[in-house]
Amino acid sequence: MMPGRRFSRLIGTDGAAIAIALLLVGALFAVTVPEFAAVGNLRYFVAEEVPILVITAAIALTIIVGGIDLSVGAVLGLSAGVSLWTSMSGLGPVPSVLAGVGTGALFGVVNGLIIVGLRLNDFIVTLGTLNVAAGLLVVLTGRIQLTGTDDDAYVAIARTPLLGVTTGILIAAAVAVLMHLLLRYTTFGRRVRATGLGVEPARVAGIDTGRVKFLCYVVSGSLAGLGGVLLASRLNSVQAAMTSGYELTAVAAAVLGGVSLAGGRGGIWQAVLGALFLATLRQGFRLLGVDPMIFAMITGLCIIVGVVADRSLRDLANRLTLRDTRRSIGVAQ
Amino acid sequence: MNASTARRAASPPGGTAVPDTPLLRLRDVQKSFGNVRALVGASLDLHAGTIHALMGSNGAGKSTLLNVLAGLLEPDHGSVEIDGEAVTIGNPQRAQQLGLRTIHQELSTVPDLTVLDNLLVGREKESGAGRFGWLNRGRTARQLSDLAAEFGITRLDLATEMSRLGALKKRAVEIVKALASEPKILVLDEPTSGLEDHEKEALFDHMAQLRRRGVALIWVTHHLDEVFRLADVATVMRDGRSVATTAVAELTHASLSRQMFGESVELLADRPAARESGCSSSLREVPALRVHGLSRRGVFKDVSFEVRSGEVLGFAGLAGSGRTEVARVLMGLDRADRGVVEVNGRTVRYRSVRSAHRAGLAMVPEDRKQLGILGELTVAENISVSRLRAVSRAGLLDRRKENALAQSYVEDLRIKTPGVSAKVRNLSGGNQQKVVIGRCLNTEPTALIFDEPTQGIDIHAKAEVYRLVRSLAEQGAAVVLISSEISELLTLSDRVVVMSRGELVGEVGEVGRRASQDEQSVKDQIVALATRAA
Repeated sequence: MMPGRRFSRLIGTDGAAIAIALLLVGALFAVTVPEFAAVGNLRYFVAEEVPILVITAAIALTIIVGGIDLSVGAVLGLSAGVSLWTSMSGLGPVPSVLAGVGTGALFGVVNGLIIVGLRLNDFIVTLGTLNVAAGLLVVLTGRIQLTGTDDDAYVAIARTPLLGVTTGILIAAAVAVLMHLLLRYTTFGRRVRATGLGVEPARVAGIDTGRVKFLCYVVSGSLAGLGGVLLASRLNSVQAAMTSGYELTAVAAAVLGGVSLAGGRGGIWQAVLGALFLATLRQGFRLLGVDPMIFAMITGLCIIVGVVADRSLRDLANRLTLRDTRRSIGVAQ
Repeated sequence: MNASTARRAASPPGGTAVPDTPLLRLRDVQKSFGNVRALVGASLDLHAGTIHALMGSNGAGKSTLLNVLAGLLEPDHGSVEIDGEAVTIGNPQRAQQLGLRTIHQELSTVPDLTVLDNLLVGREKESGAGRFGWLNRGRTARQLSDLAAEFGITRLDLATEMSRLGALKKRAVEIVKALASEPKILVLDEPTSGLEDHEKEALFDHMAQLRRRGVALIWVTHHLDEVFRLADVATVMRDGRSVATTAVAELTHASLSRQMFGESVELLADRPAARESGCSSSLREVPALRVHGLSRRGVFKDVSFEVRSGEVLGFAGLAGSGRTEVARVLMGLDRADRGVVEVNGRTVRYRSVRSAHRAGLAMVPEDRKQLGILGELTVAENISVSRLRAVSRAGLLDRRKENALAQSYVEDLRIKTPGVSAKVRNLSGGNQQKVVIGRCLNTEPTALIFDEPTQGIDIHAKAEVYRLVRSLAEQGAAVVLISSEISELLTLSDRVVVMSRGELVGEVGEVGRRASQDEQSVKDQIVALATRAA
């Protein structure tokens, strides 16, 4: 008795595993922790996760193109600082947003130029720029107390209630949707996937892989910048090191969502589901009063278990698809 | 579906007394990869002290069988017996315990380590390393220096880095390394590849010496002449089956090649008609592809040739002679230091592969799996990828258009696939190759480069690729065909040029019009050019 084609298609769908896991964990907490599902709580905790959601989309893109942008967390923090500083200088909301996103984009350009131009390893280069960004934020916060702007318009960017949630959440959702569309429905996205699957075959097929990779880093940096603006706008305060470790959460989220570190495989919305899954765990445990250290360990275990489960499901799906393929082209079993 | 194989009893070589139980017996070994049935039924009896040639064209299943013997692949079906006892090989360590060693075509040694350290790998225990993991180089040197000397490796060589040895010595180190574990059975996969003629002689001496030692050799080769010189028994594989095992003394060139190619030999050998018109009328035309004085430092130099529309120009040469490297420069993958490439009289300005595509050049690369297909993408995505502009507007993909385009290639090229949205990875090798060809055609090329287009695909797919190459030329494409199979070059090409050590060393014209009795002399001519000393 083998399951049918519909089943193989369901479990073969990227993201099915993480979506099911998210629903299960969400349901579990909703039943066991009464406060969990309260609308106010839910809204608050999603708003808190906005920066992570945005850089998860960013890091997923660079992983899919076959690299990795570890600098997103620190760049997000620095961009938040620069953006808030601009706002506190009284320059108004538009220049403040541009300053934040621009800082991120600048880091993206630098990452891209070094990685593509000098053909250096993505991991090492972005580990370097991570520290540069983190250091710059320390310098900035050491000079100026980034403790709040009087510009209400700036604060309103992320905080305005809209459609039952906040603008920050809506912007993050829009980023996820746009990034998904970019990857799935544009020629650029196709080139990203091809490059991630193999630089050499992609080059032979006529793709300018260097350019594609460079652009991915610019997009990644810009998103980190945008995430920083949303963070600064919501908290109206930026401290050094407040975003340290974000990049690792984002990598974990992407991997949980089925984005392969080998490149080429996975999608944005699956990665975002991975981020939501981790966020749900964190929130649930917090409400249950679990020690944060234990929570960190459980998260770590979840990642490993999740990756193993994802791979097993994928193998099963491949086998089933192969069987269907065989049948449909009439190859003997 | 158990394939019953047509096996003829192997008569013992040289009439010497050979025990009835073979050292190694394979029965009906089968192995599939996804949809590809690599081994449909392989059987083989191997006796001690014999050199047993394993022959077959690309895609016949030899390498799969070898990987089974090396313990790298688990067969789906069939049995392996050693000394009359059924065994499961399972992994390379177990293979070694069973006395089975394989020397793969690709060297398994580490270039930056010395010969001695390479010999040490895998025999740390024997070297007395054991405790604390200290390596005992002195003891290994003492243990192996005599053996090494037998195969031409001096004490000085032992201290030399692997990368500084010549091709023959590298092979010899592999042999010594394999012999150090005292195997009963040694599998050699194309051991003469990359060797000069005199080095081959030395290697044959080594092999004869192994036979004298009583080692049973399985020798994978596709050089018929070598088989007749050295082998005792030959097993021929075709389409994943072992089709015949015969004592070499009872074979002739003709009977062996008939076994290798079977009834398909006519299909493959049949020459294109209407060659005459294509060549004579085109004298005044501008060549579709003209390459002049192309050089890339340290790789090839001063390569010049022309290909006319409707013409197939074959490139012969040994591996590493620079043919693929020329193709890579033509495609904009690597840069030339000097020289001009013109397509239809217009000089190509290279900035990227895309500029080569735009100029009208396209390539079906060698090594389909590494360079050709993007396995995780679908058939449609693989076909459209080189010219996404045709299936998009303002950067947005039009899936319907993309699928329709792919569907038309699936039909034209007769690609066997459940649909255009099936992952290419799941198709058979021949169909994957056709997808790559479809991708190239989609760029509407003036000149098409095929680099080893039939490597690793089965004989039927091969015949179809041949037909495609021909019909593309007939439709007016200029075709450059790089192939290591001389018979393939002779079957498809109008002219064959030969490369050796980065230079074009000669041309064999009008091969398509020669009578078939000339074929051997043409082959000899090509081989002589390709292997002549610098």
